[in-house]
Formats: sequence, C-alpha cells, structure tokens
Amino acid sequence: MTTTMSDEELMAQVRSGVGEMLGLLFKRYQAPLFNFYLKLTGDRTVSEDLVQEVFLRVLKYRQTYRTETPFRAWMYQIARNARVDYLRRKKPETSWDPEMSPAVMPMDTAQQSQESALLHRALMLLPEDKREVLVLSRFQDLKYEEIAQLLGCEVGTVKTRVHRALQELREIYQQLPGRALRGKSSEGAGAWPGSGSLQ
Amino acid sequence: MARLRESAMKCEEMDELLPDYLKGKLNSDRAARVEEHISQCSQCRDEAELWKKLALLPEERPSESSRARFQAMLESYQEGRWEKQSLAAERQKFLGLGDLVRWLRTPSLSAGWACVLLLAGFFGGRYIDRDTTRDRQLAALQQELHQTSQLVAISLLRPQSSASERLQGVSWSTRVEGDPQVLDALQQTLRYDGSVDVRLAALDALKAYGQRPDVSRSMVDALGAEESPLVQVALIDVLVELRNTNAIETLRRLENAPDVNPSVRKRADLGIRQLS
Repeated sequence: MTTTMSDEELMAQVRSGVGEMLGLLFKRYQAPLFNFYLKLTGDRTVSEDLVQEVFLRVLKYRQTYRTETPFRAWMYQIARNARVDYLRRKKPETSWDPEMSPAVMPMDTAQQSQESALLHRALMLLPEDKREVLVLSRFQDLKYEEIAQLLGCEVGTVKTRVHRALQELREIYQQLPGRALRGKSSEGAGAWPGSGSLQ
Repeated sequence: MARLRESAMKCEEMDELLPDYLKGKLNSDRAARVEEHISQCSQCRDEAELWKKLALLPEERPSESSRARFQAMLESYQEGRWEKQSLAAERQKFLGLGDLVRWLRTPSLSAGWACVLLLAGFFGGRYIDRDTTRDRQLAALQQELHQTSQLVAISLLRPQSSASERLQGVSWSTRVEGDPQVLDALQQTLRYDGSVDVRLAALDALKAYGQRPDVSRSMVDALGAEESPLVQVALIDVLVELRNTNAIETLRRLENAPDVNPSVRKRADLGIRQLS
C-alpha cells in the first residue's frame, strides 16, 4: 500500500500532480522537522510556521525535484533555506534569551528535567552553525555523508565540525550555574561499554 | 608527563574518530582505541558523555492545529488556487462582497467601516445634494477615500500582518494608483516579504509603474536578492517586458551562479538575449 512507498516514490507522485501524497510525507517528516527547528530556534510557533513553509515550498518547487536525489536531502536543503530566509527577514531584536526559555522539558523525573533544561540552555548558547551541525547529526539521524552534501563540504570537515561543536558545548555546559559535568563523569571512567555504539 | 603528551596527541585524532565512534560506525578495533583514549582523557570523555546525555532532550510534538493548517494549505492548492499565474482572480476574490464581510471581522475592522461609511456618504451625497457643491464634495470624498485606502494598504502590508492580510494589502494598493508611500511599501514587500505569494502579488501590482526609475531599480535589486525560482522567473518576465536593460548585469550574474535553478538559468539566458 501507499504507506510502504519510499519517500522518493511519494515525491515523484507529488511532482506529477498527486497532491494527496504530500500528506504521507508530511506525516513522516512533520515531527522530525519540527524538532529540528525547535532545537535551532527554541520557539514553538516559529518552528511550526517553518514546517508549514517547508511543505509549501516542497509543493511549489516540486518540479525541481529529481527522482534520483534522496528526498530527505532535498527536503533538508529546503528546510535550511526556509530558515535562512526567516532569519534574513526577522527583526534582529528577537534573539533567544535563555532566561525566557519556554519549558522544553521531558515529563520524566525532576532531576532529568533539570538536566535536560540545562542541556537545552547550553545548546541554545552554542553559535548557530555549530548548533546546526550538532542537531543534524545527533537528532535528525543524518549520516555525516548526508550532512556533508547538505552543507557542501567534505565528510571529514563535517566530523571535525561535530567534534568542535561538542567541545564548545561541553565548555558552555560546564560553565552553566547548577551544573558540573566533570565531578560526576570522571569517577565513572570505567563505565563505558565495550561496544562502540552509543545510539 | 609522557602519558599526558600521548593523550594530547590522541585528542587530535579524535576529530575524525570520536564522531564516528559516537554514531557507532567504528570497527571494534578502532572503537577500543577510542575507549582507551576516553578512559584517560577527561575532556573527550565529557564530550562523549554529553553526546549521550543529549538524548535527554525530549522529542517534542507539534500542535494538533499544525496538521489542520497543512490540510488547509493542501486543499487550497488542490483547488488550483496556486496554479494561477496571475493573481488577478485572487484580487477579485478580495474585492468581493463575501470577503468584505469576512474582512470586517479582522483587526482592520475600523478602517473597513470607515470605507463603507464613506461610500455610503458618497452615494447618499449624490442623491441629496445634486447641486452646486456636488463637485467639491465629491473631490473631498475622493480625497478621503484615497487616504483611507492608502492607510489600509500600508497597514496591511506591514510585516507583522499575516500572509493573507499582506496579500489583501497588495490588493488595496491598486486602489491608490501611484501613491508614493504605497509604492514604497510595495517595493519593500517585493524585496523582503516572507511569502512567495505575496511577493508575486506585489510584483504584479508594481508592474504598472515599471517605467519609474525607483521601481525599475528596486525590481533589479529584488532579482539580485531573490531565491525563489518562481519569483525569479516572474521578475525576469517583467523586466524583459519592460525592456529594462539595467537588468542585464544581474541576469548574467544569475546565469553564472552555481546554485541557481536550471529553469531560472534558462530564462535568464533567454532574457539576456531578449534585452541585448
């Protein structure tokens, strides 16, 4: 049935005028895109608007989609452009203020929510480009190769950028009041699993 | 000391290895090397720890209304609304009576009522006072109507308005032909508005004033900054139609830009030949 169709097949249908197929793509990517924007902007309303903008553009530029291109890469390209346009048109005075951060917290234990609030703050304090590469690699589940294609650079450069972003995030995180990463983790040095997979 | 130096040297290697390790992409041999380094280097360990911790950031769910918004967008598309090259039909819609009623419920209510009252006054005046003062009153009313329309157009075109309000603003702008303030607002809209629809509508409205040097210049500027292929092509069409030779340089740049849409490149190429 239609739900087992690949993104590329669905998009090919959209391109040939079967607009309803976009609903299935929306279902697949609404939440990932929303979370992508939310982690970049920290603003739910803006994130929802941008998601709408992405699908509007997908519809409008459907003729420029080529079936041999992975849909995801094409969509994230549109998503990045939509955000660049948004930043260009937005008034600069509405920059993110960590103190005004809305409650982007999990519903788990109090300690976890405090921890995740701090992580969120640290992430928002990271410079835009670093935050983006980290969000793309950590949360959007994109391969480094895909990110390299998206950013127009070498795979090695992406890895270096991810590492630099992580280094800076660590520095910011450790400086946040109410948090000292070092004290806890250096004791647990032996706690690393034998497997290379953390995900 | 030796151990410290060894650890520092390995930190550089981590640039390539750690990101792969974190994604679970290393073979066991190399993963073991990373783990050995991590056990000695607290910074890299903290970084790996932080990567893992990022999982604590929750997956957020978009609001229920966003699905409905998407459906509305899709439906309006399927009705063929966007397939229209010209926004003339769109404008007709906004000027219809049904839309006037709907429009009265928007924040621009008071301005709308002002117009209705003015029109009532205008026609009432024609019946009651057919004599000597008629022409003068008519001129005064027209003047007021012009000012009100100008006000409505400019206030609707503000970036704070919603996309449909801005679209209405463009539609209102056509009632105050050649008003410099409104033309200015339209040029701003063409250049900076976030919606492709609104930019296209603004271009459509500005076309009539394309011979004015300021409008012609701002169209060329808009083409230089525009990223939407749809608007790019529409701009080239208009600039060619207006025989604006100042656009050639921008068209050449567009033609040679590496990331430009193929259809836009083709249209730019044709445009250069049409204008030269």
